[in-house]
Amino acid sequence: MLEIKNLRVSYGQDVILNGIDLELGAGETLAIVGESGTGKTTLGLSIMRLVEGTVRGTIRFNGKDLLALSDNEMQQIRWSQIAMAFQNANNVLNPVYTVLNQIIEPMVEHGLKSKKEARDRAAELLRYFGFPADRFAAYPHQLSGGEQQKALLAMAMANNPQLLILDEPLSSLDAAARAEVGDLLRETDKQSAKLVATHDLDTVSKLADRMAVLYGGKIIEAGLTRGVFRQPRHPYTRALIRAYPNMTTVKDLQGIKGRMTRPVSGCPFHPRCTQAIDICQTKMPRLVWNKGRQIACHRGGIITLLSTKNLTRSFGSLKAVDSVNLHIEAGETLALVGQTGSGKTTLAKTIMGLYQPTEGDMYLEGAKVGKRGKDFYKRVQMVFQNPGESLSHRLSALEAVMEPLDVQEIGTKEERENKAIKVLGEVELPQTNDFLNKYPHQLSGGEMQRLAIARALVLDPVLLIADEPTAFLDASIQAKILKLLLNLQEQRGLSILYITHDIAAARKVSDRIAVMLDGKIIEEGPSNEIIAAPKQGYTKNLLRAASALRSTESSNVEQPTLNPPIDEGAL
Amino acid sequence: MHIDLKREIKESGPGKTGLIILLLMITVALAAPILAPYDPYQQSTASLLSPSWSHWLGTNHVGQDIWSRLVFGARTSLLVGFGVGILATLLGTVFGVSAALVGGLYEKVVMRIVDAFIVIPMIIVIILISAYIRPGILTLILLLSLLSWQGGARIMRAQALSLKERGHVAAAKSFGANRFYLAWRHIVPDLGPILLVEFIYGVRRAVFMEAGLAFLGISDPTVVSWGMMMRDALSFSYLNVWQWWLVPTGVALSLIIIGLTFIGHAAEPVIEPRLRGVGIA
Repeated sequence: MLEIKNLRVSYGQDVILNGIDLELGAGETLAIVGESGTGKTTLGLSIMRLVEGTVRGTIRFNGKDLLALSDNEMQQIRWSQIAMAFQNANNVLNPVYTVLNQIIEPMVEHGLKSKKEARDRAAELLRYFGFPADRFAAYPHQLSGGEQQKALLAMAMANNPQLLILDEPLSSLDAAARAEVGDLLRETDKQSAKLVATHDLDTVSKLADRMAVLYGGKIIEAGLTRGVFRQPRHPYTRALIRAYPNMTTVKDLQGIKGRMTRPVSGCPFHPRCTQAIDICQTKMPRLVWNKGRQIACHRGGIITLLSTKNLTRSFGSLKAVDSVNLHIEAGETLALVGQTGSGKTTLAKTIMGLYQPTEGDMYLEGAKVGKRGKDFYKRVQMVFQNPGESLSHRLSALEAVMEPLDVQEIGTKEERENKAIKVLGEVELPQTNDFLNKYPHQLSGGEMQRLAIARALVLDPVLLIADEPTAFLDASIQAKILKLLLNLQEQRGLSILYITHDIAAARKVSDRIAVMLDGKIIEEGPSNEIIAAPKQGYTKNLLRAASALRSTESSNVEQPTLNPPIDEGAL
Repeated sequence: MHIDLKREIKESGPGKTGLIILLLMITVALAAPILAPYDPYQQSTASLLSPSWSHWLGTNHVGQDIWSRLVFGARTSLLVGFGVGILATLLGTVFGVSAALVGGLYEKVVMRIVDAFIVIPMIIVIILISAYIRPGILTLILLLSLLSWQGGARIMRAQALSLKERGHVAAAKSFGANRFYLAWRHIVPDLGPILLVEFIYGVRRAVFMEAGLAFLGISDPTVVSWGMMMRDALSFSYLNVWQWWLVPTGVALSLIIIGLTFIGHAAEPVIEPRLRGVGIA
């Protein structure tokens, strides 16, 4: 019904929309998601032909190219067949009209209804949105923000348009009103297609079957809402979900590095992307179908950084690691959870090449890993369990952090020193001479572990294996170290294989959890699913045994988590 | 594990004594040309003289000044001692540490060679070989080193095997370090104190062997050596020359060996801390 091809909108030099392609069938709801300034509203206004800038491309509505129509012809369609509910309620409503008259006006103006019919329809809509009859005569300034928003929605729906463009329809509402209006919007007008522009993922979750993520005037990922929420495939989409507080995901909130900048050559997201390569700076990626999703990314979306295939490590007849198949995506945390002796550390050391695998293969960015050389260790680094052991007592703080650079023979001595000092800053350690000359036995446990993390980061690895990095630390220091890891992930796009016996900590830092028992991975999935709906008895036991601060008397010991049950449909 | 070797030696009375003796001997050896009034090789017709102002310890059977020969003999003794000490410790470390790090067939071969050498009585072999080739100082150092590194190699391997399981060694490996780097930067520094003890006992053994071979008359006769001096003195045992010829030489040799023994004993708690507090009986 609506088909947009290569839509470009610019104001003078500023390109707001840069080649948008999308389709919308009758009765469908598509959400356009993006941060403010990405061009969501401009897209809506372009369809309404209300933008003042230069518009190129085609917008086909029921076969007619809207951009080719004369102003008169467009006038026929606007508000009767295509209607839009604007975002800023305060400015849009006419202050001298009552609510009822506001809604009657477009109907009468477009000559579709007699005054009488229009009044009935308007009253019906207001009642539908929960206005009591005595509020019909209220003026906009007498309405609450929520009521104004409802009035705007009623106005847009007045003529039963075939296409309804909703700009932030729920954003000005509180949570209860949001749920109510969300339901109403979903139930009503099943025959009209809706285009919902919003920055709010909850709105998307409530209203839309499909979603398209907009960034820098370009759609970078599009697909079925549930699929995108369960497994975002573009780095920006994932970052957006990580930054959004909700009741479904369990990982701590993370921001997105940098700020949106315009104009940008190449992929609009590349300055903030943590897996950008050279081509991303020069060439704009096209939106292409990729495994059931449309993705605009030169790297085909989030890449799989490391995968193991039937990785096995035996000690005599004991299989400490038994046919493990795991994958770690770029920029994500995979928590490997299991009790002591389940083979977690052996798996980590086998990946690192400190143990030779007995069987199985490993792939780093798709390339098979054979004998691990310096190149491999430049990309994969490990933080060991006990920092007191893993730091040599003969090396000062500076020497310890410089050691990997020395081994890899990178740069001059001065460059190495500067790099080491810079990384110390990143892990929030002092950069004073006094500190640089300290030896491990002069440092606290937390400082030692930070030093060990700095040492692992100094080569700018893409994957960090953290083996119980907080096992020897107090809870307060542990919290700081975990936060540090999350921040590093945000800033560097670091992938982390986080090894722990503590599922409560894993839940806070990981995107996915893999549960290990007797050398095998027995369960693996998104963290929230493992926490809320574990399939294996062992995982349930782990959850039951996990730390919980029960503050109320509860007979229900079976309740494994502090989380409420989760609605599958919600984000 | 912070072991301070200096403190270990300083705090032991015999350790201090040993150190003083050794330093004294080194000073004598270094200052030999100043301390010796005559060329130790210069022969004269005045043989078998008694001590006098011009010849403090008299002269030997070919008219050489015994004091000058005693002073220059310290050079030979210490040169061979330290030369062998350094070389044998080096060989022991290289083979011991590399066997531990490389492992596999290499380790097996090296350690079986070590076993074989330890089983053979070294002194007999050295005497046999020396009797044939009459080694000079350099050859003697090489010969003694080649035949005495094996015991050290065993100790180094055992230590390296335990050190290589340390966390910081695994960490260095995970930066891509090769075995040479691991050995040089992480394992050998931690072997330090043990190396020193090995070295000191190596020196002692070599000083003793050098004197012994010379005494048996199977070393290079042109080199001044305490062992040879004692042998020569003994052939005039029917005269009273032994008082200024045999005794001072024997005392000098004993002093070096006692000094080294004391130092080694004081440093031993480094290898085995349980020995700490157990004095020399």
